[in-house]
Amino acid sequence: MGNPNVGKSAVFSRLTGAHVIASNYPGTTVTFTEGRMKVGERACRVIDVPGTYMLEPTSRAEEVAVEMLKDDDIVVNVVDSTNLERNLNLTLQLLNRDVRMVVALNMWDEALEHGISIDVERLAERLGVPVVSTCAISGEGMRELRDTLAHARRAPAPLGDEDRWAAIGKIVDEVQQMEHRHPTIGEELSHATVHPVFGPIFALLVLAASFEVVRLVGEGLIAYVAEPIFEGLWQPAMQRLSAALGSGGFIHDLLVGELADGQVSFGESFGVLTTGFYIPFAAVLPYVFSFYIVLGILEDSGYLPRLGVLADNVMHRLGLHGLAIVPMLLGLGCNVPGALALRVLETRKERFIAATLLAICVPCMAQTAMVAGLLGQYGALGFLPVFGTLFLLWLVLGSVLKRVIGGTTPEILLDIPPYRLPYWNALLKKLWMRMKGFLKEAIPYVLLGVLIVNLLHTFGVIAVLSRLFAPVMSRVLGLPPEAVGALVVGFLRKDVAVGMLAPLGLSLKQLVVASVVLTAYFPCAATFVMLYRELGARDMAKCAAIMLVVAFGVGGLLNLVMTGLGF
Amino acid sequence: MAMPLDLLPAGKSAVVVGLQGGRGVMRKLDAMGLRPGRRVRMLSSQFMAGPITVLVNGRQVAMGRGIARRILVRAVD
Repeated sequence: MGNPNVGKSAVFSRLTGAHVIASNYPGTTVTFTEGRMKVGERACRVIDVPGTYMLEPTSRAEEVAVEMLKDDDIVVNVVDSTNLERNLNLTLQLLNRDVRMVVALNMWDEALEHGISIDVERLAERLGVPVVSTCAISGEGMRELRDTLAHARRAPAPLGDEDRWAAIGKIVDEVQQMEHRHPTIGEELSHATVHPVFGPIFALLVLAASFEVVRLVGEGLIAYVAEPIFEGLWQPAMQRLSAALGSGGFIHDLLVGELADGQVSFGESFGVLTTGFYIPFAAVLPYVFSFYIVLGILEDSGYLPRLGVLADNVMHRLGLHGLAIVPMLLGLGCNVPGALALRVLETRKERFIAATLLAICVPCMAQTAMVAGLLGQYGALGFLPVFGTLFLLWLVLGSVLKRVIGGTTPEILLDIPPYRLPYWNALLKKLWMRMKGFLKEAIPYVLLGVLIVNLLHTFGVIAVLSRLFAPVMSRVLGLPPEAVGALVVGFLRKDVAVGMLAPLGLSLKQLVVASVVLTAYFPCAATFVMLYRELGARDMAKCAAIMLVVAFGVGGLLNLVMTGLGF
Repeated sequence: MAMPLDLLPAGKSAVVVGLQGGRGVMRKLDAMGLRPGRRVRMLSSQFMAGPITVLVNGRQVAMGRGIARRILVRAVD
């Protein structure tokens, strides 16, 4: 246990082996990670609990941390050596709880850099429990920590609750010595990156670089790993299956899909085993993977809180916390991790607004590719109306939701950690857990979605829907009734919907309207499911209603405006 | 002469003399080191009433203006 940003994850990572799982605390969206290690002869569970400042919790994550504390546990209290005074607050409260404890004075190397020296033995004496200085990133002190765990002790806190800060002050005076040092480069950078002018410039650079890395790694994975596997191995296998099933018929079309020119096409066939596998593994997974790498670096280096501060101004006007910028940015790559990132937000109101804005206004890579495919020929004249409308909608819808939804959005109050080099082992473990999560959660639903669309198509439901919605399509949106098919398919996979719109020979205006509606009305099936799990049934229903109303409303409005402007 | 924290000019240091606010916010501020008697230094504030960033006990803390407004400080040199 320990304050946020003290390196608990790194310590956890050092203590545990490869077998780590992330779990949800029941009834919440707060996650904790669990692994195993040996203390002496006994195998033990190690739990990395959300960071908390004190045992009288102020947030759900802190509540979980407190509830997880059980009497016969050994607590490894990870303390930030560069911030002894603040961290001891939790330490003394833990001592009061009468549990066996070992204190790990982590970030020892940083403390030395800052000219801070702490008398470890004296501190252990005063606290009554073993204290070990550690640097989880380099591994120093970790063996000592492991050995000391067997000697964890209970001890009464040095003084009662009322005098806690005074007691802390005395202890700190006794054990800590600070040399005055000039600000390090890290510190200067730290201050600069929150500066109102320099900060946003730096942020844009970081974001641009991040997107580039994600794009390059993603594309690389697709080109060198996914495509070869699918074209080289899976395609022939599916081709054989297709022949074995007679190249047609119900089962065949369900599993393999419709052949294009006698060939299995992953983009068009729409079989559960073909398109259903291709989409999550070859088209989405590489980007999700590369996103998580970049996200892990941004998180562990300490940059994200600064980004939250810079964005807070705008976010707050939309009823959101500054950190909500994270799911929004993630959503630009793939809405699924964006939806997962909604967990950083505390209140139900914020999560609802962020989810709605994410689903409606933040186009994922697939959607962006779709727009590029449809409107590329028109260049800026095509892109500006589409993305401009989405951005405006983001601002307007956010402001409206902020006012309309009950509840307040708490103001930002964040500890901003110093910049640190991420610890690669912890990064990899996080990546591994997140990928496992994605595979488990997103993929089954994509498969299900393909199956459903397939069935709908086979039973002619799509044709019926086309006729039903024809009046809406033509009068409100100015689109031909066939576009409904694209909308239905778009629920599953937006970029594939392009294939359905392209041959319709639409005008610029129609393409713009179709693009906006397609992007806004529903996210892809995987995101839809994720949001459902984050928001719950009732909120998701409200969200879905808003999606539909807004998408068609804005589409109709856009149609009017563009017609009026003479397009 | 006491003033709210959000009016402290960038670069200036001050000592906290009082805090107002709801219990949750107060506890969190307390835990982060913003207590009467503590020194803080104003680092930066975002445009258009955005969050401010201060240095407390060697550590950066960012907070919204509304919270900052309810922390009373006295400027020191």
